[in-house]
Amino acid sequence: MEKNYVTVEKNAITPPKTIIHKKRKKISKNLAYYLMAIPAVVLFAAFHTYPALQGIYYSFTNWDGLSLVYNFVGFKNYINLFKDTNVLNSYLFTFKFAIVATILVNIFSLAIAVGLNSKIKGKNFFRAVYFLPNVLGVLVVGFIFNYLFANVIPDLGEKMNIGFLSSNILGSESLAWIGILIVAVWQACAFNVILYLSGLQTVPVELYEASSLDGANKWQSFWKITFPVIAPFFTINMVLSMKNFLMVFDQIIALTNGGPGRATESISLLIYTGGFMGGEFAYQSANAVIYFIVIMLISVFQIKVLQKREMNM
Amino acid sequence: MKKTIALLSAGLLSLSIFSGCSKDASSDDGKVKIEFFHYKREAIGSFDELIKKFEKENPNIDIEQKSPPEAETVLKTRIAKRDIPDVIGIGGNSTYKELAKAGVFEDVTKDSNLEKIQPAYIQMLKDVSEQDKVFAIPYAANAVGVIYNKAIFKELGLEVPKTWDEFIATAEKVKSASKIPFYFTFKDAWTTLPSFNALAANTQGDDFYDLLKEGKVEVDTRYKEAAEKFVQLTELGHKDQFGDAYSDGNTAFANGESAMYLQGVWAIPEIQKANPDIELGVFPFPAVNDTAKNKLVSGVDLQLSISSQTKHAKEAKKFVEFLLEEENAKTYIEEQKAFSAQIGIEQKDAILEGLQTNFDSGALTDFPDHYVPVGVALDKNLQTLAQKKDIDSFLDTLQSEWEKVQNRK
Repeated sequence: MEKNYVTVEKNAITPPKTIIHKKRKKISKNLAYYLMAIPAVVLFAAFHTYPALQGIYYSFTNWDGLSLVYNFVGFKNYINLFKDTNVLNSYLFTFKFAIVATILVNIFSLAIAVGLNSKIKGKNFFRAVYFLPNVLGVLVVGFIFNYLFANVIPDLGEKMNIGFLSSNILGSESLAWIGILIVAVWQACAFNVILYLSGLQTVPVELYEASSLDGANKWQSFWKITFPVIAPFFTINMVLSMKNFLMVFDQIIALTNGGPGRATESISLLIYTGGFMGGEFAYQSANAVIYFIVIMLISVFQIKVLQKREMNM
Repeated sequence: MKKTIALLSAGLLSLSIFSGCSKDASSDDGKVKIEFFHYKREAIGSFDELIKKFEKENPNIDIEQKSPPEAETVLKTRIAKRDIPDVIGIGGNSTYKELAKAGVFEDVTKDSNLEKIQPAYIQMLKDVSEQDKVFAIPYAANAVGVIYNKAIFKELGLEVPKTWDEFIATAEKVKSASKIPFYFTFKDAWTTLPSFNALAANTQGDDFYDLLKEGKVEVDTRYKEAAEKFVQLTELGHKDQFGDAYSDGNTAFANGESAMYLQGVWAIPEIQKANPDIELGVFPFPAVNDTAKNKLVSGVDLQLSISSQTKHAKEAKKFVEFLLEEENAKTYIEEQKAFSAQIGIEQKDAILEGLQTNFDSGALTDFPDHYVPVGVALDKNLQTLAQKKDIDSFLDTLQSEWEKVQNRK
């Protein structure tokens, strides 16, 4: 930036016409780009980066979210975090949930995407149907499933004499997370199917033709051609869904509110309930800072590992 | 570089437009606008009527009623932004304690309106906020009793129990008649609290709150009896008691699925909505065997505070005093099935007559959960206790959680 600016001024003293013309054109061309980019940067900084920095600042205080005064307490919040079994418990739940959900979502969406990419009748209709969950609000979906789990499924379970289904699974400490998993996976598949579909369309048809000439069956051509070619899409789907599931919040609010007990209390939920309702704003800010670092490390790690795999394939 | 700075500052300037649109308190037509923020969503209709009446009497004041879901959280976030409603109606709970400490409310310790209020409720506000000053005028009180289905009691030939042993015996009789004694709704964690409150308030010991003020937490021993009795009650519920939520319970009880319902009196309007013909009664929760010592858990359900930052203190006070007028207070308690915090205003509803003796004699005690820091999550721990029935681990967790929360301060 600085350099650019100076050269323009220098040239302004003895101006060979063509250069001025070029430079001016360059500035005005760049200006347009700046005008496009800067508003987003400013908004992002104001509504995202600044609050995030504020959160880091508060994490070193003892502010309860309300008081007019607060003191700096150094790393006390961070030290207390590591002694808090509730935090550990919510990390365990969140990771268990996120890992299982990520695997399931990717298996299901890839399978559905392969199906939707083949030459079947009513392909567009099915695509629309599978995309539908993505346009529904999470809370709406949550409340509908809440009703299903509370009324419809127990009735079914009773009729078919399946013990564990005859009562609301969301009320059980050991099963509640599965209820949330079902809802989250069902809804998340919609978006990942779209990503996989766009990936499948990048696979050149000639490769399939060649492989069929070589006598490969469907299974072989999937693993040897389709999967390697869409590897970048696999990477992005894994990273995105892992990140989303690690931040699971809405589904839990709609289904169990973290209960029974603390059985389905995700980290985001703990930060929200503790920070805004529990009067522990600073403490939960510290929790959020740590969690931010954890998610960042996981995402970087995933991208590194999966991209290496892309190369090898 | 200069250009980036220029662009950045231009961006920031344009952002400051947003912060410029803070509300002006008085509206265009010269009326004074008072915002009345409260957490009783069930009472929105009752307040609508009262506000209409007030605005008729005071044409120059415009009352704006607000009662969003999760009202206490909304209130806290607004106060964090220093955007404080003029009149605030919440309960005498830990939110009140926090806000009073933060200096949000006007001090009303010397207000003459307090003379009309039952002293027990004023004391509760002092206890809960751990201050000698009062920052709110108690308006309505609630109570936790045992709501029972009179038809089922008659059918089984049961009488209203007075002691804990009689209470359990009654429930066992209901069970042996293959009916459900209590309809629990543990999917909503908070619904564990009413019965536990009644048990804890009567068994935790009279000096519990005094010790608490000194920073001594002894829940691991003091809550033992309450926890044991609570577990005993959970054995007398129905099969899917962990899967049903509050609204499910109201409907089920209204349809005669259980003989008793362990909820506060606030559930009565909801039950009647589901079945207007149901014959209901309420009796005080028999938490102990010594009937003389059995107190009714009754807390300040709604109290009115005025913001310390309001520009229209006079008008806000006028509205509060209007609500306190006998006729209006009566309208409120009749519609909300609540009790008035004012001396001499009686709840005449036949359903609630079983509790009246406690109000007359003043055998009242506050909700213990209002003294538990929110971070301890008493309700969630009770949910776990109800499922796992592990009393020792419940008491240990509660004690250590409480100490941890104190440590973080």
